[in-house]
Amino acid sequence: MTDLPIKISARNVDVFYGAIHAIKSVNVEIADKMVTSFIGPSGCGKSTFLRCINRMNDTIDVCRVTGDILIDAEDIYDRRVDPVQLRAKVGMVFQKPNPFPKSIYDNVAYGPKIHGMARNKTDLDEIVEKSLRRAALWDEAKDRLQEPGTGLSGGQQQRLCIARAVATEPEVLLMDEPCSALDPIATAQIEQLIDELRSSYSVVIVTHSMAQASRVSDRTAFFHLGELVEYGDTSHIFTNPSDKRTESYITGRIG
Amino acid sequence: MTAHSTKKHGSLLVKDARTQRRNNAELWFRAYGLTAVIVGILALVVLLVSIFSNGISAFQQTKLMITLELPEAKLDQKGQRDLDVMKKVTTIAYSKILGNGLIDQLDRLGIATDLKDKDVREILSKESAATLRDVVLADPSLIGTTVTMEFLVNGRIDGYFKGRVDRASAELDKNVKPGQLDIADALTEHGLMYTQFNLDFILAPDASDQRPEAAGLGVAILGSIYMMLVVLFVALPVGVAASIYLEEFAPKNRLTDVIEVNISNLAAVPSIVYGILGLAIFINMAQFNQSSPLVGGLVLTLMTLPRIIIPARAALKSVPPSIRDAALGVGASRMQTVFHHVLPLAAPGILTGVIIGLGQALGETAPLLLIGMVAFVREYPAAFTADAGLFGEASTALPVQVFNWTQRADPAFVERASGAIIVLLVFLLIMNALAIFLRRRYERRW
Repeated sequence: MTDLPIKISARNVDVFYGAIHAIKSVNVEIADKMVTSFIGPSGCGKSTFLRCINRMNDTIDVCRVTGDILIDAEDIYDRRVDPVQLRAKVGMVFQKPNPFPKSIYDNVAYGPKIHGMARNKTDLDEIVEKSLRRAALWDEAKDRLQEPGTGLSGGQQQRLCIARAVATEPEVLLMDEPCSALDPIATAQIEQLIDELRSSYSVVIVTHSMAQASRVSDRTAFFHLGELVEYGDTSHIFTNPSDKRTESYITGRIG
Repeated sequence: MTAHSTKKHGSLLVKDARTQRRNNAELWFRAYGLTAVIVGILALVVLLVSIFSNGISAFQQTKLMITLELPEAKLDQKGQRDLDVMKKVTTIAYSKILGNGLIDQLDRLGIATDLKDKDVREILSKESAATLRDVVLADPSLIGTTVTMEFLVNGRIDGYFKGRVDRASAELDKNVKPGQLDIADALTEHGLMYTQFNLDFILAPDASDQRPEAAGLGVAILGSIYMMLVVLFVALPVGVAASIYLEEFAPKNRLTDVIEVNISNLAAVPSIVYGILGLAIFINMAQFNQSSPLVGGLVLTLMTLPRIIIPARAALKSVPPSIRDAALGVGASRMQTVFHHVLPLAAPGILTGVIIGLGQALGETAPLLLIGMVAFVREYPAAFTADAGLFGEASTALPVQVFNWTQRADPAFVERASGAIIVLLVFLLIMNALAIFLRRRYERRW
């Protein structure tokens, strides 16, 4: 593994849903400006772990997280941390495209507005344009900014969600199976986009598709039954896994 | 192997017994369903026909035009036009002047009758003397002049023009004489007695059971409007705030479970129980005025709250969680998530629930009986007075007025009560139409 600066560092993280032990003592260090993918069979805890990184699990009453997750060496589960502030720094894109039932413009402008990032309309216009360009949606959307975001196609909606997430200038971008509801062409576009986003963000992506993980990510973590089984350079994981379970999964014997 | 051996089913052109049975069962079920719908529609038609046939005539009223002198000697002996002095002249004096005016008018027109003068006077409503007195007191300069005015006629004469009374029934009725009907016919020929739209039915206050022709819904409509305002301004914010808190913020634990179950139970509590509660809390403890729209509105608020909270929570629950995730994901606080995204999407559902709750409150009678809103109220309640406070003056309400009128003896009140039901139905229709309109207008897809 190369020694890029560490952005996210998890130490002995356990997650419980009531009595269910969903994540078992996970230790992982995620580097800045890289794409890290989490793979593993359904129910292995990869999405749960992803949602711990921006504390989206806080909204689930029965969910309990122990251990430390540090972003830039700050414990995000410290009592002084406000999850709202954290989520401006750690953006998220969800499995199903979920634009607000508002115009394309308002979808992107919402985050900057509530975080007070724009002093005036011109600022906001700029942020919206920049974000849509980053999400490779500007050319398609520039003439219909006032149309509802829900009127876009599935792939466009997902890119709108990415634009919405990057509009708040996050440092980390979490993606929870962003392509699972999309067709292959839209998936290819999103993957290309992820490739471009790597230069500015630390991207963590959960995926069911091993092909996708191998195409887009620099590093890969394999989760199985709540445990982090193996973590390393993608090329290494896919060609020469050290754990039997990883090998079985990537060759299609389990999962 | 022959073709015959693979054939397990019979010909598709012939229905087998089992298929036939299933088809029959479906046919029967459809027939039951259709019958149920038809019975329901028939019942509705019968209801509407009976209410409208009885009640539509309440919106028409027979009036009599009389030209009469207003003698100063009787109405203002001192001739100083001093209102305090003039007020000492009671409706009895006015009644005589009015009756004599009518008799004189019949003489002038050459309408002969063998009725006693007393019976001729009774063609006029008992209310008409008061009408005349009010006009004179409002404008004392009329005294000594000859005026031409419209007056209400007796309920039976009014009934004659609406087909409720005829000569055969008048023979048997001690309240009306066939001779009075002859006079009514003669006056109609001269164009002095006629039936016209009855605005007073909607605007005038109630009248005593001796004078159904003067009874109106004004106080009841105003009282109902005041109560709806109280319900709207108390139940809407409290109910919506409660449902937002319970749905979006409250932790899911045993306490909130108990609250949830109890809200559902409260929605099923008989409305009269809320009347008893209101009597104990608002009248006995808080010492608010009896019969006031404030107390009525608060009682109806208690009753309506669970009926607003339940649909409001359902509306909030139906907003997809992905919207909440999206808002939280870009760093919105929970309150921003709720107020910027969830509430606008749930608003049409919440509004529909509120309006239907208001509609139920508008038609509610039982709890109002207990807090004294069944009282006979002649005076319009003021919205605010220093003594009674906001909505604190005695009033009545539309459904209670219906209840009240159906208990009175005079058959003319049947017409009034049905007319009041029509007004109530119109109000309810308007509210439901508003609910549908708002839902259509603001419903958003996601």
